[in-house]
Amino acid sequence: MSTQNTENFSFKKYAWNQFKKDKIALVCLYLLFSLVVLAVLAPYIANERPLYADYKGYKLYPAFASESRTDSIFKSDGKLDEILQYDITDWRTLDFNKVVWAPIPYSPSTMDRYNRDYVSPSGKQRFKNKNGEITDAPSKFRHKLGTDGIGRDLAAGLIHGTRISLMVGLVSMGIASLIGIFLGALAGFFGDNKLKMPRIKYYFTLIGLFFGLFYGFGHRKYALADGFSNSIMSGMIELMLSILVLVLAIVLFRFLSKLIKVDKLQEETFVPIDTFVSRGIELLNSIPRLLLIITITAVVERSIWIVMIIIGITGWTGIARFTRAELLRIRSLEFVQAAESLGYSAKRTIFKHALPNALAPVFISIAFGIASAILIESGLSFLGIGVPDDIVTWGSLLNLGRQNLEAWWLIIYPGMAIFITITIYNMIAEASRDALDPRLKS
Amino acid sequence: MHPKKIKAELRKKLGLDLPIFYFSVSNLSTSDTLYRIQDKYHKATLEHLTHKSGNWSKVSDYYKELLSLQKVHMKLNSKDIFESQTELELNTINEAVNQVGFEINNLLETSEGELIDLSFSKIDDKLSNYSFLSSLNSSFENVKKYKNEINISEDKWRTYVPKINWYGSKNQYHLWLFGNGKDRKGLLRGDFGISYIDSQPISTKIWQKIGISFSLSLISILLAYLISIPIGIYSAHKKDSAVDKGFSLVLFILYSMPSFFVGTLLLLQFANPDNLAWFPVSGIQDPTLFDPEWSFWTKIKHRMPFLILPIITYTYGSFAFLSRIMRVGMIDVVSQDYIRTARAKGLGEKKVILKHALRNSLLPIITVFAAIFPMAIGGSIIIEVIFSIPGMGVEVYNSILNYDYPMIITVFTISGFLTMLGYLVADILYAVVDPRISYK
Repeated sequence: MSTQNTENFSFKKYAWNQFKKDKIALVCLYLLFSLVVLAVLAPYIANERPLYADYKGYKLYPAFASESRTDSIFKSDGKLDEILQYDITDWRTLDFNKVVWAPIPYSPSTMDRYNRDYVSPSGKQRFKNKNGEITDAPSKFRHKLGTDGIGRDLAAGLIHGTRISLMVGLVSMGIASLIGIFLGALAGFFGDNKLKMPRIKYYFTLIGLFFGLFYGFGHRKYALADGFSNSIMSGMIELMLSILVLVLAIVLFRFLSKLIKVDKLQEETFVPIDTFVSRGIELLNSIPRLLLIITITAVVERSIWIVMIIIGITGWTGIARFTRAELLRIRSLEFVQAAESLGYSAKRTIFKHALPNALAPVFISIAFGIASAILIESGLSFLGIGVPDDIVTWGSLLNLGRQNLEAWWLIIYPGMAIFITITIYNMIAEASRDALDPRLKS
Repeated sequence: MHPKKIKAELRKKLGLDLPIFYFSVSNLSTSDTLYRIQDKYHKATLEHLTHKSGNWSKVSDYYKELLSLQKVHMKLNSKDIFESQTELELNTINEAVNQVGFEINNLLETSEGELIDLSFSKIDDKLSNYSFLSSLNSSFENVKKYKNEINISEDKWRTYVPKINWYGSKNQYHLWLFGNGKDRKGLLRGDFGISYIDSQPISTKIWQKIGISFSLSLISILLAYLISIPIGIYSAHKKDSAVDKGFSLVLFILYSMPSFFVGTLLLLQFANPDNLAWFPVSGIQDPTLFDPEWSFWTKIKHRMPFLILPIITYTYGSFAFLSRIMRVGMIDVVSQDYIRTARAKGLGEKKVILKHALRNSLLPIITVFAAIFPMAIGGSIIIEVIFSIPGMGVEVYNSILNYDYPMIITVFTISGFLTMLGYLVADILYAVVDPRISYK
């Protein structure tokens, strides 16, 4: 530090400067941004409905409208001409005055019945034109990366698969980080002999936990199941309610414990929180993760959200271990001791002072975790479990290719998509490790 | 025999008629004997109804009455009715009887108030239209009465009071762990139970399959070590040279390649008549040629072409990973003082690297060694599925898809145990490699 200009020195700036030196990583970062853009704009990049269409004098924006929309088209004399049902209209056969198609004029799950049975990217592709004749596909409507057995466009599938992959990485690692950082911070900061509370409070917390689980999850299990079967949103709301009940029960019992004034029970006792967390990590680590995930996904309902949640709740151990190790180191540093001697509460010390300084190595583990979450999801889809059949993912496309080795495009392109995404995340993780933690530089 | 009886006997044999654990937590309204009910849909219905009303005894009455209604219904015989009735056609009678039976089944499997009412009204309709169903009348009235009692029951508060049921040692977990002294010996004495699918002992099934998975993972790990240690040493030795940079990039790319992609690519390229049909596509032997009487070497020779692609797929991932660790470890060691001392006292570069540095740089990659044991039992599911290798991976995968819980639990138990064993082996190896580490 002494050699550097200490006045304007910020770790973030330093790390960013270090990161920028790695040109490959910088390219990867830009690639990641473009993947995100691709994922966000997926419905407008690959869509069978045109972006803009001038149809019989009506200006339509079909790709931006909801799928269930219907438009009534009237003739100039005011009589009803036809009704456009957005989800079933074959837009390609309509006679537009002017039309702007999406770059890939196919949706991922619509089957093109003229190009079934694995049409190769370079092979002959058929197309039904406006007059109802079957012709060679014009270059705009060619399946540029080929189709699968039931005529779904591969390029559209890949573009929409980007969404799923990025979301899997983000959501599952979001869940894993929340659990991992929270538990790791508690374990690392308090250890086995720092968290003291009156014995009665300790016992009452456990009782509160029991009642919280009973009322929050045991008693509300039908409400939770109904919520999740309705929609993922209502399920999440029910889940939040359950967690609220859990927290309330614990708080209530901790409060009740103050009312019992028996000296013997008011003695301070240590809460071995580190033991709890560390043994929990070991327990989860001793089970092969992929096996566990496959088992759970086989039992529960098939849904992409559930896959993300499962990957998240089985993937927090690495993050927790890093956080724990980092906090073990940090808690003996001067600034934490200063915070403690100033009388700050444990909560404030951990979350405002200790944790922000511990997050750099954790961030690296999260970045690697995203890569492995994407890998696991595509592995599951590749095996044909977990994600419902109607959702097109990179893994499920690759699986189709495995079943028909002649369709090389179904192997190369999705495989490359998975590979490139994972490489990007790994590169970024590696480079940020070098930037954030020079000791680990390889 | 009646299928229900067969099922009941099977449940008894497998111990499924017992409660799951020593105790269970439920609320005051539920029955502690619910686990005895065979049909899982009925069980779910009863549980939910009890949860709604808070009164188990009334739900139980309702359920019993429904069962007796079903029994009476089963005694109905369309032919007999047809013979005693002249004005109706056999088809009409059949349809009415079947529909009532269908609704009764629905009632047994639903706890939704609206659906129950719907079924009630449909049965009512049939009963009032067809006089030959009159034998069901009294029982059905009872069912409706009980349902009504459930609806007006005001015992909802009971569901808010937790209750702990104690079952003692007669439970599935105890049976699984300790056996029952008769046909089941229990896990502690090496009995993993029997498979739900084919009633074979789990241990037999595992022994049949584990050989191939274990050999594959062992061969691939050894290969990976054999290749990656020299590569790691070389690139650390020539750090920042063009070769090192090239190696690093290639290893990084290999490391990011998903194994299922690599496996499929290999199949596409080398086991595909369109490209190169060098290797067979799936399996580990040709069933038309293979002869179990063959000597060990002949078998290996025969299986070799089948195993090359899987071994490559198995190996490359760990190889890339190990080389990277090895390189980092080596660089770390080479920059230390004692290596400089060794060089300073005039030792040859070869001796410095191979004798002084290598041993210490082995530490990090030992950790990885611990992983092969659990890998053998779990198999690499994806690789075995791609190449259709009849090993543990495919076995476990199939048992998961078929809900063969004894198999799944056994695999989890053993791999948990083996993970611990792997940690232990790694710890011992640490001590062997580094004399400073001791576990006294």
